[in-house]
Amino acid sequence: MNEFALGFSVAALFKGVVVTLLVTTGASLVAVALGLAVGLVRVSTLAPLRWLAVAYIEFFRGTSMLVQLYWWFFVLPIFGLSLSPWTVAIVGVGMNVSGYGAELVRAAIQSVDRGQYEASTALNFPRLTMMRRIIVPQAIRGMLPPWGNLLIELLKGTSLIFFITITELTTASKLAADATGNYLLFFAIALFGYYVIARAMITPLVRWLERRFSRGFIREAVA
Amino acid sequence: MSDPMVRFENVTKSYGALTVLDQLNLDIERNEKVSIIGPSGSGKTTVLRMLMTLERINDGVIWVDGEPLTHMDRNGTMVKASERHLRRVRGKIGMVFQHFNLFPHMTALQNCIEAPVSVLGLSRAEAEARAAELLDMVGLGDKKGHFPIQMSGGQKQRVAIARALAMRPKVMLFDEVTSALDPELVGEVLNVIRQLGAEHDLTMLMVTHQMGFAKEFSDRVCFFYGGKIAEQGPPDKLFNDPDNDRTRQFLSAVLEAG
Repeated sequence: MNEFALGFSVAALFKGVVVTLLVTTGASLVAVALGLAVGLVRVSTLAPLRWLAVAYIEFFRGTSMLVQLYWWFFVLPIFGLSLSPWTVAIVGVGMNVSGYGAELVRAAIQSVDRGQYEASTALNFPRLTMMRRIIVPQAIRGMLPPWGNLLIELLKGTSLIFFITITELTTASKLAADATGNYLLFFAIALFGYYVIARAMITPLVRWLERRFSRGFIREAVA
Repeated sequence: MSDPMVRFENVTKSYGALTVLDQLNLDIERNEKVSIIGPSGSGKTTVLRMLMTLERINDGVIWVDGEPLTHMDRNGTMVKASERHLRRVRGKIGMVFQHFNLFPHMTALQNCIEAPVSVLGLSRAEAEARAAELLDMVGLGDKKGHFPIQMSGGQKQRVAIARALAMRPKVMLFDEVTSALDPELVGEVLNVIRQLGAEHDLTMLMVTHQMGFAKEFSDRVCFFYGGKIAEQGPPDKLFNDPDNDRTRQFLSAVLEAG
């Protein structure tokens, strides 16, 4: 193996990891923020708002993420809107995942006990205050495990941003493997790379949040 | 004579083909304590739920404190109440539920200050003082920082009573508030209600299976059967010498069960 190629490949691979981490973090923030927002609109009492949320979910969940990225990157410029690859990567991946996120937010909100809504009505809470102070804090607990799944999916999905010119972990591994001929090594690195990122970042974050939001639900988590 | 505190005027409630309440007429005077008894499915809990606006009515009007709750006046005609109107009139009513429905993510104290702060606009300090006083009153002054999961059923129900009172309602509704409790915890909750009745100007309407308590505490008892009031009157009369056969059958069945 050529030492130059190896050194070059390792440097590129390191950069790929950083890119994947950055895009995953950015897209996750977009996905969570939009997922929460659209999920809440999805359970609105105003039907037209609900329809908008349904349309959003159907579009982003029902069409291909790669094709969505192509639209952001190659089709929007036709209409005069040119976005940088990074913007498309973070917003495009984030919005795609937010479609799934909105549905799990809705499910979690609707699974909060009926009695909580009734007590809130009896105490005369306006609906938005009830959602913010009573329902959502309880729903968050139920939505954390599925959000964990979704963000791990998102992490792995970021490999698609190769198609909009960004060299991330998978691409860097492929290039390194091609350059050095060592497919076993570099695809092993890619394989475990995603696992390590998910296991070291996403899982602990979700676990920590689960403990935090379990106050009052599990005896041990009270204090 | 002043308006009754609560008036049900020809109120009908049905779910599809099933009529739960059929043209109910019922007046409850200021500070009156009324118990509602009757077999399962007789519509008694629905009466409270309609008054709390948890159920929409199909026909008739409910009045609270001299103004319509379910309807409002628009240019001289009565129209269905808007959410805003509902919120204004509903503020006069508080409710305690069979299954407590405390907010599990909040301590006892937080449960009692959340609505006074975010609905009534009290300052945090004011709300905390009010909540602390009420929790003391229900005998839970030392449990302020406890979460519902750390409390017994009886304690939870007493917090729920304090939480409802913190909104200073004029009418309190109690929906089978001891039915989910272990027998030895029933007394502590009933004592709180007894004390409330004695010390506060409150109109109280309760659905109960505690016949002894209903007899001792109520000014009037209503026996519901098949979506109607089959019989009503002072507890002595209704429990000891009922006029209606249904009442007699119900009471003997309940008393037999112990």
